[in-house]
Amino acid sequence: MITPLETTLLGIMMMVIMLGMGASMTWRDFMLAFRKPRGIVVGLTSQFLVMPALGFALAMALGLPPAMVVGLILIACMPGGTTSNIFAYFSKGVLALSIMMTTASTMVAVVMVPILLTFYSGLAGIGAEFVIPAGNVAQVLVVLLVPTAIGMVLRKVNPNIGATVELIGSLMGVVVILFLIVTWVPRNYQMLLDTGPEFYTATIGIGLAGMLFGYWFARGLQQDSNRSRTISLETGIQNGPLAVLVITLSFTGEMQQDVLFIPVLYSLFIVISSTFVTMWYRRNATREELARDAAKVAT
Amino acid sequence: MTSSRTTGRPWLSAYGDDIEAELPAPRHASLAEMGHSACTRFADRTAFTCVVPNGMNGSLTYGQVDSMSDAFAAFLRIDCDLDPGDRVAVQLPNTLSYPIVALGVFKAGCVLVNTNPLYTRSEMLHQFTDAEVKVLVIVDIFADKLADVVPQTGIERVVLAGVPEFFPRVPEFIVRTVQKVWTRSLPPIPQLPVPVTRIRAALAAGRKHKADAKQWWQGLERRNLAMLQYTGGTTGVAKGAMLSHGAMLANIDQVLAMGRAYMDRETCVLTALPLYHIFAFTANFLSFFDIGARNVLIPSPRPVQNLQRAVENYPITWITGVNTLFNALTNEEWFTAHPPKHLVAAIAGGTALHAAVARRWHEVTGTPVAEGYGLTECAPVVSFNPMGDRSRPGSIGIPVPGTEVALVDDDDAPVEDGKPGELLVRGPQNMDGYWRRPEDTDSTLRNGWVYTGDVATMDDDGYLHIVDRKKDLVIVSGFNVYPNEIEDALAKFDPVLEAAVVGIPDEKTGEAVRAYVVPNPDHVGEPLTREAIVKHCRTLLAPYKVPRSVVIRDELPKSPIGKILRKDLKAEVREEFKAATPASAA
Repeated sequence: MITPLETTLLGIMMMVIMLGMGASMTWRDFMLAFRKPRGIVVGLTSQFLVMPALGFALAMALGLPPAMVVGLILIACMPGGTTSNIFAYFSKGVLALSIMMTTASTMVAVVMVPILLTFYSGLAGIGAEFVIPAGNVAQVLVVLLVPTAIGMVLRKVNPNIGATVELIGSLMGVVVILFLIVTWVPRNYQMLLDTGPEFYTATIGIGLAGMLFGYWFARGLQQDSNRSRTISLETGIQNGPLAVLVITLSFTGEMQQDVLFIPVLYSLFIVISSTFVTMWYRRNATREELARDAAKVAT
Repeated sequence: MTSSRTTGRPWLSAYGDDIEAELPAPRHASLAEMGHSACTRFADRTAFTCVVPNGMNGSLTYGQVDSMSDAFAAFLRIDCDLDPGDRVAVQLPNTLSYPIVALGVFKAGCVLVNTNPLYTRSEMLHQFTDAEVKVLVIVDIFADKLADVVPQTGIERVVLAGVPEFFPRVPEFIVRTVQKVWTRSLPPIPQLPVPVTRIRAALAAGRKHKADAKQWWQGLERRNLAMLQYTGGTTGVAKGAMLSHGAMLANIDQVLAMGRAYMDRETCVLTALPLYHIFAFTANFLSFFDIGARNVLIPSPRPVQNLQRAVENYPITWITGVNTLFNALTNEEWFTAHPPKHLVAAIAGGTALHAAVARRWHEVTGTPVAEGYGLTECAPVVSFNPMGDRSRPGSIGIPVPGTEVALVDDDDAPVEDGKPGELLVRGPQNMDGYWRRPEDTDSTLRNGWVYTGDVATMDDDGYLHIVDRKKDLVIVSGFNVYPNEIEDALAKFDPVLEAAVVGIPDEKTGEAVRAYVVPNPDHVGEPLTREAIVKHCRTLLAPYKVPRSVVIRDELPKSPIGKILRKDLKAEVREEFKAATPASAA
């Protein structure tokens, strides 16, 4: 579905994007996220509690075939994807929180994902063995954190270079999102035509439900609206490629193809639905910014 | 009338060890000489850094400012053929071009006319005609206003400057591209009957003459006119306060006397207030330039988020602001979680600083805000709180060195100690009068005293408090708004029969404009709405003058001879806000 060349290209583009994301931040932003560690905890809980439960519930409600159930639960249990950081940036969210959540959830994933998968697939009556490749998890972290750190240093050394890199990174973000949409839809339209509505509901629904529940879960735990939006995106946007990898390592033959179906469809639609959600979040963030500017000091 | 009203100087004890009681002897004959001297002494130091919201920036050293302003002076005197004393208007946001142009004007022996870039066409027209401006330097994003204005004035040459002007090439290109393609804020340059030059070309032309700018400024004396600073007029039009080189130099020394102990060459001052406003012009630009400090210029401080990169990337030690700015900053998490750690001082002027804002600021930054008081007619600083723990909340501080103040009643007689009276100011910073308005001058400037129109009280130890205002003006975020001007604008709207304008307390801007409007019964068409009134005002008035609150009434209180009684409306407002926010009715 994606050629190795595209994978490499996307990897490089991703690093350029993260370089830009890093250049938009300072150490203070991370300090700020650490000062309120609750945000990260709330985010992680949302990620590993809300999301898998939603995935399971959705799979059961739609009465999907066993392979698809596995696929949906798997995607729901994945840690946050790196694209969530781009969307957090564009939605004027708390980028440092998003990056820290992605980092933390990816690390925690090594332990949490097998447990969750075993638990929920057992609950669904499906027995399967899953392998979480630690090497790939490390790779995700490197792609995420190294460019971010370099970007932050660039900005510190020269704000002009930092701002330029940030601009290039964000433009690249738009390019990557467009690239994903534009290249996937035409190549897979036959598959899209053959797919039944319950699969659409499952793949689009899991992302949107994750964002919706993530937001209100965070709000309920007294996170401000900006953090909640960040947590929302982080909860809804999963690391699709990692799910694909886990499947190729854990299954073979026909079963592999069937299980892969949901994560692949998810990866496509999450880009589209996140784009719309981000545009909406961004408008809200701008409005709040202006309102805060005009607000009175609390006496 | 006279010196007898000065009953000693009770505030001297509050000067403490760090403030000299007597103003030092003037060090320079003109602002040009002051500027040149600073540029020579601090040649290699960074003088200005302009930061746009995404963090892109450009800087100029003192040496660069010197040679570029020399070139601009040559451009004015040779290419534009200006004579000494000719007026040059500058209509720029805080950008690197501002200090070059201002200093260039002083070095050319010409007179600077600071102009708000947000002024509407009619406001520009009035100011440029009144001051007989010959050269206008305007920011390119507002060049579209020129077509309607320039042909009706005596302007002979227009110079355009961009916001990212003099940034390194790549950031300049990026910012300009964003302005052009994304925000669409760069209008095409209209066809004008006069030559239009970009500032880089103007500097290049000036440089070609290889002229020594000294020839134009070495003859300047302190009594010569340096600037016409426009301020709202009681008669509905803005009038130019004539500020001499001596008045400006004196006020620089007065500002430095109050703050010197807290300033050194490592000082880095955040200039979010617009330089065309006299407070930022004197305090931020000139005073800090004189001591070789670094000035971080913010072209567009709203929303206040736009300041984030500047605060994070530079070691800010001083912040000047108005209530609005301090309020907005203390509402931002990025600011409150990591306030500037090098901060030494914060000073507020322009409008009353609210106690709640001052307290919150002190909590967040650990540095108190020292509040001061001034007016355009006094270049502008009259009084300031001493820095540190001698600062008194709610007070506008003590008169700056070399300044006499008096409080008088309506009969011009000194009031008893502790009683309120109109604040009168006499000092070397006073203006010479209003430009070509002898009657206005006579009513404001009498026997060397500026009648401020503000009613104040004085504590035993000389600290002043503003308690009321005699003139009807409304002060919105430090900008004077004269009700007559707004009422004139409202009267031009057909559906309006008559209108009266007063100020209402506003937590954010200190005061806001409220219009009481009576609909015109003869007008046919849509009934009069608040929205329509505001929309109409926007076409004629700068944003801060547009009424924030509109009350539609059947009639207005009037005197027996039919004069609208603003004082009755003011009393209504006082009643209305008394219950709600007793503290803010400043």
